[in-house]
Amino acid sequence: MTTQPTPNYTDEQQLITALIAGDDRAFCEIISRFQYIMVSIARAICGETFADDVVQDSWVAIHKNIGKFEHRSSLKTWVITIVSNEAKARLRRESRKISLDELDGEIPGSYLDGANFKPDGHWQSATPLWTCESPEELLEETQLQYCINKTLNILPPAQKAAFILREIEQESFEVICEALQVSAANVRVLVHRARLTLMQMIDRYQETGSC
Amino acid sequence: MLKCKEVAHLASEYIDNNTTAKITWQMRLHLITCANCRRFIKHLRTTKLLAVKLAKSGDVDAEAILRKIKERI
Repeated sequence: MTTQPTPNYTDEQQLITALIAGDDRAFCEIISRFQYIMVSIARAICGETFADDVVQDSWVAIHKNIGKFEHRSSLKTWVITIVSNEAKARLRRESRKISLDELDGEIPGSYLDGANFKPDGHWQSATPLWTCESPEELLEETQLQYCINKTLNILPPAQKAAFILREIEQESFEVICEALQVSAANVRVLVHRARLTLMQMIDRYQETGSC
Repeated sequence: MLKCKEVAHLASEYIDNNTTAKITWQMRLHLITCANCRRFIKHLRTTKLLAVKLAKSGDVDAEAILRKIKERI
């Protein structure tokens, strides 16, 4: 294992060429970039139990097959497809079915909880006030960054994967639907629920200064 | 006229510009008259922005993962 500094692989073609040449630094680079997304996808498809195994199998498949990468998609989309297929295959082998409900539980007390609304459909009580509403100021809060990452990690797996793929990675609905085996409408619902959970955390953060 | 509960359900579609012209118009009409929902939508927009900018992938021990991969090849 090399101890030389990692080159800055900003150019994808340069990165792929290094990967095909067997450069360990390039492989560490894609592990750093994609491990988080891969774990999220694996958990969303086959649950916590098999996710780590699936991700490791996927990395082995990627290492073996990088020479066959045909540039039909971006490297990230290719990696997403591999982990998604590995997770689906694992689920079939285990003869298990995991319902979306299992991976996307409704969180009691969420903004969409019926208890928050009067019978006529209006808010039961006023929506919370924020003492700081400036995104620029909030972006500087280190504690808020910690809270956002903590909250993302406790989201139901399907919500977290949909949120990461759509909001952070800006993947297309086509790729997300194929990877997670859900409809575009489902992806939108999952992202909405994830945003609302994060918003509730920010409500608490505004009130108490912690998550 | 939309109810607050419907606005809460449609809020992400609305801020993502994914609602039909009819729903967009109904949302705007509701927001003119409802301070709670105006705040809700404003906070949701801020949340979207913050979460995207502040979420980070966390530390990954790439070399340890690579060692494990190589043990299996």
